[in-house]
Amino acid sequence: MRVYILRRLLQVVPTVLMITLVVFVMMRSIPGDPVVALLGDAYTEEDAVKLREAYGLNKPIIVQYGIWLGKLLQGDWGASILTGRPVLQDVLIRLPVTLELIVLSMAVAIAIAVPAGVIAALRQNTWGDYTAMTLALAGVSIPEFFLGVLLLLGFSFNLAGALPSSGWVYLPGTCPTVVCAASLSGNLQHVLMPAIALGVGRAAILARLLRASMLEIVRIEYVTTARAKGLGERRVVLKHALKNALIPTVTVMGLQVGFLIGAAIVVETLFAVPGLGTFGIDAILARDYQQVQGFVLLTALTFVVVNLVVDFTYSFLDPRIRYGA
Amino acid sequence: MANGDGFSAVERRVAGQTALGELSVAVGDLIREPRLAERSESPLAQGVRRLRRSKTAVLGAAIVLLLLLVAGFADVLAPQSPTDSDQTSTFQQPSRAHPLGTDQLGRDMLSRVIHGTRVALVVGVASVLLALFVGVPLGLIAGYYGGQLVDTAVMRVMDLILSFPVYLLAIILMVIFTPTAGVLGTVKVVGAIAIVRIPIYARIVRGSVLSIKEKEYIEACRALGQRDPRIMFGHVLPNCLAPIIVTTTLGIATSIIVEASLSFLGLGTQPPTPSWGWDLKANVAFIQATPWLSLFPGLAIFFTVLGFNLFGDGLRDALDPRLK
Repeated sequence: MRVYILRRLLQVVPTVLMITLVVFVMMRSIPGDPVVALLGDAYTEEDAVKLREAYGLNKPIIVQYGIWLGKLLQGDWGASILTGRPVLQDVLIRLPVTLELIVLSMAVAIAIAVPAGVIAALRQNTWGDYTAMTLALAGVSIPEFFLGVLLLLGFSFNLAGALPSSGWVYLPGTCPTVVCAASLSGNLQHVLMPAIALGVGRAAILARLLRASMLEIVRIEYVTTARAKGLGERRVVLKHALKNALIPTVTVMGLQVGFLIGAAIVVETLFAVPGLGTFGIDAILARDYQQVQGFVLLTALTFVVVNLVVDFTYSFLDPRIRYGA
Repeated sequence: MANGDGFSAVERRVAGQTALGELSVAVGDLIREPRLAERSESPLAQGVRRLRRSKTAVLGAAIVLLLLLVAGFADVLAPQSPTDSDQTSTFQQPSRAHPLGTDQLGRDMLSRVIHGTRVALVVGVASVLLALFVGVPLGLIAGYYGGQLVDTAVMRVMDLILSFPVYLLAIILMVIFTPTAGVLGTVKVVGAIAIVRIPIYARIVRGSVLSIKEKEYIEACRALGQRDPRIMFGHVLPNCLAPIIVTTTLGIATSIIVEASLSFLGLGTQPPTPSWGWDLKANVAFIQATPWLSLFPGLAIFFTVLGFNLFGDGLRDALDPRLK
């Protein structure tokens, strides 16, 4: 197990390096000369040369990448052009909000998918199965932001403002600034609709997968044996079939978390949730490229960490992985 | 890495980033063995017969066909220009003159939804085809020369693309390309989504090729002195077409969602080109007063994606019943 963890951790290093390289290339390919932008109207050729030297922009591109990477490692992620605030600090403040949203949308997905998948499999080719699978197909086909709009129409506007349409109330104790709204109930009210909007699509995918693997497993001999022993149907399903059908489902669940990191950007924008996604999109629209860089780096790194955690969890659940490779 | 369900961490990752249908293709593909035709009927004829029996596939095909007609005849079908604004009739409720109402610039919503079909279908189909034409040869070469330097080089680049969440990479690419309006704007979106999708094809094809190239009939080709490219495209490729076709159909659905999401974020094709995602976003601000304005573009996206998903599901069942 220890060897597996070490090897997997070492694999992360080249991935992270490649990510930084892509981000560096992105920052370089953004149209416009940063020196011209910095000097503005006071631009003279002489100042430009001095500034290029000061920022190391006259060095070979590989050296520039090295210097840039060194700064990143030291925690210097640059400062916002608009606010002057250090970017690393700003993105780290936003991260917990996005993580909370992702965890809760996964909870929504599991809460819907497991009963739906099991019922659909047990009542295969009945109206219950057809209903569940039709809904699942609709769930796969609806974009997160459109579901969010439907939720807004249903719960914010028609039910006399049952749920807030935008904004955020922090969990108690997670307030990023000196003063901010923080309460558990307020937080739940704000996170509920975004979490459902994000979770339903994932629920649909998981339900379809769970149904398929349940159907496969109930045909395997050991389930027949369990039935032949005279075990009750409920026990056969919950104890024997479901447990094994969950293994592939759990894998895909982990992958869905990775997907949610990206999809959260869209949903956060719709509900004006102050997470990493809104931060990134605002920065892109304002052309604050230092902030864009911070957003891209942290989101990509979060993705790497999530994948790592998923692999560790999976190897813990299924010992066969550890001894492979 | 060997593990319980028989496919590696990276393969699981690819699968997880795509819709379920594509996932099942990836999974099923790894356990695929070429089947002998049970009857004299060709595999293609069998597939078509099964496809026509599937209600979901027929329904999906009907939706897709309808959308193609709408996109093709948008100029005839749309009652007005999708871009001409009329300041005297803004935010009109649905009426006989404007069946879906008008937006904040007084543009006819029905015409915008009809014309939006074009961007959605063009981006959905073109991005997937572009990804296919790049990804399939890459996967073929990587798989055929499995374990050699070419394989490693190609797959490392694919891994790099996969080390970003789909939406994030599409956003990064659009920041680099800078979104614009019109045809060029649409081409940029197509390019961004295609790049994100290339590794999906490369992985699926490579996986199939790795098993197919060990078969006796490929060895026979080699013994006959056929050259590698001819074996690859003439004998290996035709045997991994089924997963490619299914992935493409379901991939169009995913690409349409990604396009709509990019437009929704303001990073897709820029106005005045009508795009459903952009229209939805622009009208969310007025959702309380004029809910139908964000509803109709959203419904259009939903039905389009549903159509391709239904058709793709049916195709998968028809081309490979074992995946059912």
